[in-house]
Amino acid sequence: MGALGVAAALVWAQGVATRNAPPVARPAPSGRPWPVSFVDIAKSAGLDMRFASGSEVSKKYIIEANGSGVAFLDYDNDGLQDLFLVNGSRLEGYPEGQAPANHLYRNLGDGRFRDVTREAGLARTGWGNGVCIGDIDNDGNEDLYVTYWGPNALYRNTGKGQFTDITDAAGVAGPPAEWSSGCTFIDYDRDGYLDLFVTSYQGFDLAKAPLPGKASNCEWKGMPVFCGPRGLPFGTATLYRNRGDGTFEDVSKQAGIRSVEGYYAFTAVAADLNQDGWTDLYVACDSTPSLFFRNNRNGTFTEIATETGIAFNEHGFEQGGMGIAVGDYDNDGRLDLLKTNFTGDYPNLYRGLGGGIFEDAVLKAGLAINPQYVGWGAGFADLDNDGWKDIVQVNGHVYPELDQSKGQEKYRNPRLVYRNLGNGKFEDVSALSGPGVGERRSSRGAAFGDFDNDGRVDVLVMNMGEEPALLHHQGHGANHWIKVKLRGTRSNRSAIGALVTVESGGRKQVDAVLGQSSYVSQNDSRLHFGLGQAARVERIVVRWPNGAVEEFPGVAADRLVLLEEGSGAK
Amino acid sequence: MRSSLLTLLAASALAQSNDPALLSDAARQYALVRQYEEAERLWNRALEIAPAYFPALFNMGFMYYTRGQLDKAEPLLDRAAKASPLDFNARYTLGAALVKLDRRDDALRHWREALKIDPGHVRLMQIMVVEYSKGRYFQEAAALAKRALGLRPADPNSYFLAIKAYQDSGDSASALEIARQAAQKFPQSARASFEYGFHLQKLGRVEEAITHLKRAMAADPKYEEPPFFLGDLLVRQGRHEEAIPFLRAAIQNRADYVPARVALARALMGWEKWKEAIAELEETIRMDPSHPQPHLLLSQIYFRLGDEERAAREKTVSLRLRRENPTVLEAVQGRPFPETK
Repeated sequence: MGALGVAAALVWAQGVATRNAPPVARPAPSGRPWPVSFVDIAKSAGLDMRFASGSEVSKKYIIEANGSGVAFLDYDNDGLQDLFLVNGSRLEGYPEGQAPANHLYRNLGDGRFRDVTREAGLARTGWGNGVCIGDIDNDGNEDLYVTYWGPNALYRNTGKGQFTDITDAAGVAGPPAEWSSGCTFIDYDRDGYLDLFVTSYQGFDLAKAPLPGKASNCEWKGMPVFCGPRGLPFGTATLYRNRGDGTFEDVSKQAGIRSVEGYYAFTAVAADLNQDGWTDLYVACDSTPSLFFRNNRNGTFTEIATETGIAFNEHGFEQGGMGIAVGDYDNDGRLDLLKTNFTGDYPNLYRGLGGGIFEDAVLKAGLAINPQYVGWGAGFADLDNDGWKDIVQVNGHVYPELDQSKGQEKYRNPRLVYRNLGNGKFEDVSALSGPGVGERRSSRGAAFGDFDNDGRVDVLVMNMGEEPALLHHQGHGANHWIKVKLRGTRSNRSAIGALVTVESGGRKQVDAVLGQSSYVSQNDSRLHFGLGQAARVERIVVRWPNGAVEEFPGVAADRLVLLEEGSGAK
Repeated sequence: MRSSLLTLLAASALAQSNDPALLSDAARQYALVRQYEEAERLWNRALEIAPAYFPALFNMGFMYYTRGQLDKAEPLLDRAAKASPLDFNARYTLGAALVKLDRRDDALRHWREALKIDPGHVRLMQIMVVEYSKGRYFQEAAALAKRALGLRPADPNSYFLAIKAYQDSGDSASALEIARQAAQKFPQSARASFEYGFHLQKLGRVEEAITHLKRAMAADPKYEEPPFFLGDLLVRQGRHEEAIPFLRAAIQNRADYVPARVALARALMGWEKWKEAIAELEETIRMDPSHPQPHLLLSQIYFRLGDEERAAREKTVSLRLRRENPTVLEAVQGRPFPETK
């Protein structure tokens, strides 16, 4: 009375889709000395604010996951870098008067900062995201734009320690329900006034967003988590032209920006990526192809990321793009891009080949060794001043629920530091770079700048649900350096879009003055160059945002030089 | 013919009974000679008399399962599993039906019970490994694959399954180690050498990977994956000229191997052989018009050649195909499980 027997052979041929990129094997350490040590001095420096970005135990919606940006700026023109930190919120709101706000900290010059948010008029609450800085009216004072889930904010710096909210008058608030993320100032039409480019991450609607675990895009490795970005409405981008009278007009459509659709946009950078003298735009996109808007020199842009190799990785996969660093890591005179991505994937090291064409050199460069982290803010910075730009990357997963799971992935992660070996390759020197690098946080924004003017680049970091980190570079190397501050006169005064070439010790280094970069953050606008053993710079060449090229004579090392447009040799 | 007739005569006699056992046995004999309606009628009669009678529940459920009538099979097999909780076959077949009904989690729950009943059932373990991975329960898949490997260490497929499961779980170190063991244990196996070479190349151990991929090619010159992954690895290292003969070998073994054709085009692009790369990509498009990657590379070539209009057209096609077929690009480094026998 037995059964018929078990089922006939059950054969399932599978094609399990996974990127699951493993860490590539590390080469033997170079053994070279590394005089770099970062120490988090945020507490002693007086940075006592705390970031909010939804729940830090379990995130219900994607709006809680992305955190915010941070910025170095010199708002009071005293030669010291001050700090601006964008803050978020939480779904359930706050009691009256207790909602977290953005913070402006004034650099007191002795390693401490004072919170001047209220007196400066910047204490806005809400779901803040990105920040970008530029002098929109060429009055010599750095103005501030902050993106929100909700209307964005443009603050004009009065030059008297205060900012005035001119958003409505300027016409740059954006749609009231839009979730804006990145922004950058750019003088795309070379009229000497900074225009504004703003990205929107997605069309997020709390009333329509599905709950964790409710669909296939709401799970992570079998665990119910917040949904998206896939499956949620795409974002968009907006270009505002500065009329020069304190107002802006939305030119997105006629400029060709709106001809592209279907992306979740984060960080935006403005730089001349095809070396034609006109500033272009590159946008890191999450789970969709990233965007390269080439400036057509006639007020329009054409999106050419696919054609030029910076939309996808080398195999044509879409990636979870977050942050962007811009710099010439191989000193070949062409700008390169580093894009950070989601976990289980490598970053992209897009090496410029000229003419706006790039190749992804991440494997060749030895940067495919830490795919276990979700990468966010990143920057090229010559940390040991040897003349080769190194890399700092901050990390943090998006699912706090991971901390309760048995898996290896965790919400809070250490930072990464890579030394540039000068031969096209990098090595991971995180473990040698001081206690500030090993701290485990879920970080998002990061800004690079030298707050104590000691010739060593420091890093300001946004940490989800915690205080910021101010990673003070306390290493002691013997190499020389120089900082270059540009002041446009016919070009925009911030010189955003300028390209600087420094020649010293038989080496040429190139760097660009940027608006936003890293992850929705703003770096110190003074360009930092390590000079190695060279105690002098032989020549500095500036290509201004309006295309004019000027040469400046050599100067001694270890100082800041201010170069004003029109004062050099043509 | 004669024995079928005798069977039916016997079954016909049994069918007059009111004993559920005799009725169920008669039904089973009708089912064996494909007289399904009569079988169904008799099993239903048996179940009217004894609703929890396991052989009737299971065999009728199994009949429906084998005939693809899953909606009818599932409740009967579920009742069978409840009537006889320690019966392996009921749980096993119920799980198989549930998977086909897209109820993977329910299937895995019953299969876990089946494994408790027969803890040494390697084939079930292998099937579960595949389903755990499809459900993104990667840790569970890897643990079970390891257990199956321990029970059947002489079977190369046990190794291949475990390698894949560990790879999916993100534990590339374990995947590599099992691949190393397989290559050592089965030196004549092209698949074993290939698996080791494949994992070495994923980890950037270039020269070791080349050695093992070449070994796999020598063991089975008709096997298309080793020369493809070897060629692709060389392209990623910028060794374009060196990559070309391997990629051509992969294509010779399998003419419709699109990833190999795309990699060959990339090698030709790296070598600035634009005309040859275009020809290769156009041939690939003729073979598989739905693949976005040839169009993506064509857009890059035309852009470099200054034909921006054509570059933009190819990009548009590539992006459209990508949206229409989002999984097509995922297959190159994510390889299939070995078939479970």
